[in-house]
Amino acid sequence: MAKVEPGMEAMVDVYIFETTALLEQLDEILLRTEKANEFTEEDINEIFRIMHTVKGSSAMMGFENLQVLAHKGEDMFFIIRENPEKMTDVGFVYDLVFQMSDLFKAEIDMIQNDDDYEPTDFSDMLAKLEKGAKMLKGELDGINADDSASAASPAADDTAAAAAAAAPDCTTVRVFFEDGCKMENIRAFMLINNVKESVDDVEIVSYIPEDIESNQDSANVIIDNGFILSFRAPDVKAVLSAIESSLNVESYEVIDANAQKAEEAEQAAAEAAPVQQETAAAGSPAAPSAPAPAAPKPAEKPKAESKAPAASSGGGKQSLISVNLQKLDQLHDIVGEIITTESMVISNPELEGLRLESFTKSARELRKLTADLQDTVMSIRMVPLTGPFQKMNRIVRDMKVKLNKDVELVIEGDTTEVDKSIVDNLNDPLMHLVRNCMDHGIEDTAEQRIAAGKPAKGTIKLSAMSSSGEVIITISDDGQGIDTEKVIAKAERNGLLMKPASEYSEREIQNMILLPGFSTNDVVTEYSGRGVGMDVVKSNLSKMGGSLTVESKKGEGTAFIIKIPLTLAIVDGMEIMVGDAEFTVPISVIKESFIVKRDQILNDTKRGEMIMIRGVCYPMLRLNEKFGLYSEVNDIEDGIVLLIESENRGICLFADKLIGEQQVVVKPFPKYLSQYDIKGQGLSGCTIMGDGSISLIIDVNNLIGSH
Amino acid sequence: MDIKELFAKQEEMKQKNLNAKNEKESEITKVMTFYIGDQVYGIEIPSVIEIIGVPHITVVPGIPYYIKGIINVRSKVVPVIDMRSRFGKEEKEYTDRTNTIIIEEAGVSVGVIVDEVIGVIPVFQKNIANSPDRIGVNDNKFIKYLLEMPDGIKLVLDVAKLIYDGDMYLVEE
Repeated sequence: MAKVEPGMEAMVDVYIFETTALLEQLDEILLRTEKANEFTEEDINEIFRIMHTVKGSSAMMGFENLQVLAHKGEDMFFIIRENPEKMTDVGFVYDLVFQMSDLFKAEIDMIQNDDDYEPTDFSDMLAKLEKGAKMLKGELDGINADDSASAASPAADDTAAAAAAAAPDCTTVRVFFEDGCKMENIRAFMLINNVKESVDDVEIVSYIPEDIESNQDSANVIIDNGFILSFRAPDVKAVLSAIESSLNVESYEVIDANAQKAEEAEQAAAEAAPVQQETAAAGSPAAPSAPAPAAPKPAEKPKAESKAPAASSGGGKQSLISVNLQKLDQLHDIVGEIITTESMVISNPELEGLRLESFTKSARELRKLTADLQDTVMSIRMVPLTGPFQKMNRIVRDMKVKLNKDVELVIEGDTTEVDKSIVDNLNDPLMHLVRNCMDHGIEDTAEQRIAAGKPAKGTIKLSAMSSSGEVIITISDDGQGIDTEKVIAKAERNGLLMKPASEYSEREIQNMILLPGFSTNDVVTEYSGRGVGMDVVKSNLSKMGGSLTVESKKGEGTAFIIKIPLTLAIVDGMEIMVGDAEFTVPISVIKESFIVKRDQILNDTKRGEMIMIRGVCYPMLRLNEKFGLYSEVNDIEDGIVLLIESENRGICLFADKLIGEQQVVVKPFPKYLSQYDIKGQGLSGCTIMGDGSISLIIDVNNLIGSH
Repeated sequence: MDIKELFAKQEEMKQKNLNAKNEKESEITKVMTFYIGDQVYGIEIPSVIEIIGVPHITVVPGIPYYIKGIINVRSKVVPVIDMRSRFGKEEKEYTDRTNTIIIEEAGVSVGVIVDEVIGVIPVFQKNIANSPDRIGVNDNKFIKYLLEMPDGIKLVLDVAKLIYDGDMYLVEE
């Protein structure tokens, strides 16, 4: 984490969290508006608000470069906001803002991860934004020069005052804020927002001082003269009550006479101007961090407030709080322990043989409650896939432009919920797969598509659904599909074939693209073709206990299917005994369990055992031998055989006996043991059983791999 | 130099001597002592979490022979090290007297199996003899310092080195 001003360390996390969320929101709005090719007033205000909040919090944290960057972006939208109707063809604005938001994200990433964080110099981007703002202004010059003048120009005040005076049907109020509430300028800005949000059809004609968003010293002007707001609305009373109910408003008065209004406006403008010049002389567009840390608490408040109305404007109120994930993990651990301890109490051997009617009843009650508790805790950790899915919009959009392909991204089932830790790890794999679809899947030109009888516009579909403890995510395109001949030729060239090429099934060939060192694109592009993509995706997914398969039909498209567990923390397991050791095998991989006869066993040349089940031959793995355990059960007819299957590979495990099915809470191996490769032995973790003993959880993929 | 100054200096000297004496006499820490074979070893009390018998140990494959496996200490999974075999001594069957001492360093807990816990002794500066740099004994790297007590020499183990064992410094991961 970057070093920040003393006392602000705790705020950095919050800052990063909030700003990242805001930037994502910004991306979302831009994508939506770009698609619809129009900015609604609401969108502009929302963007403006995001920029403003980001700017404010960056200033508070002392990240001056970010603050300036946000400020420039804000300036640009200030112009757009004043003249929304003229902004029909502003494609360059999107590019600029996307670039800016990328820079922002990169910088925040650095702040988060870099100990010796050095602020990046954004002067290039700043120049671009300034140019953008100028272009916007240039476009608007002929139409309404005065209004479009940015707040930075002192002349605007006079104009505004004149406008207020000239407009006969508007109402002007003078608002005073509570003494010592601090940051009056921000409060005034909030007040305007509040009025706009709570009253329909209100038109804010002008306000004085005008530069409340950009000039910290305007707070002093407001303290001295009050904040003067002119508006036009059918229902004046509603506006007034909105003003009254705004936070920190101490009093307000309606100034009725036009003359008086003009006079006062002028006076205020006259007073505001010198203050502005003062700051202009001081140099940077906004005061450096100095005033912000001095009053971090009051500064925090308006930020929170400015968020609230936005949340409520989007429909029903959301009552969300953000919680440190560590605390959730802790809670989760404790609940796991409670469940274990509960079993220890209820099935305590000392109770055996006793008639305990009321005890049994209470125990049942307790068990029900703890189960509820566990479910609730689990559900807290569950988050919808909306976040990572929406991010793909952006990727498709960027690549669409770069690759010159017309593609639409269709998202389905993004409300499916999975464990937070999984969602966090899903971004990279999804991004890779979507890029792959864009780059390799969809045909290079629209003509090719039309020739193949497909619509010119390609479609990439991202869908999610949950099925029995697993989430299935499909990323599919309607592109050219996988050319199996090309794939096998390439695999042969790269020495990836294990048997003669003719013996591979179509499915096997398609899944070859997931092998390490395979990339069908001969040309390395910016997005894919480095040959590290797919196998990394696959291994990342299997680290989370997930799997990746490919299904493709030549000429019709390709689908990548990801299967991931809903949660990593709890496993439905089958308990088995081997000697005096207990193991847990995840139920999801067990195909069947059975007792075999000696004559069903086939012996290969290396003393290895195999068994034939329904025409398929599976190797037999004796767990006691594998893990070096002493067991009295050595005759294959005395024990039990489990057929397990994962990633299309199957194996039979031989154990002493089955104990039963149980939901277990997965615990990682102690840190001290992480220096040894236990995972490679085919064990993914351990769990504490009801009687306090430890059961080792079998990791089927690694077990099959190590065999 | 006037008399006042002299007096002050004298007082200062006195105080210094007293301090030095106190330093030698004052208790630095407490050490829990135990047997491994015939030798008495010790672990500083702040590192000790608890002492238990030898519970059921779950064997884990793929780890060195001296780590016996993992145990459940109040819902925490802790690895256990047999000190006899860690120090290259012959292993012995566990008895009623065999103890597991749960120690912790920087958030990492480990159980060490010792022959028998003796008790807790206070340690003064004067008891501490410097640890020999190298006398060719294999397990020297685990010794923090020697204690010369009236009833014999005790070797105080360095818990950090015991946990962050030599060449495999990957625990942090």
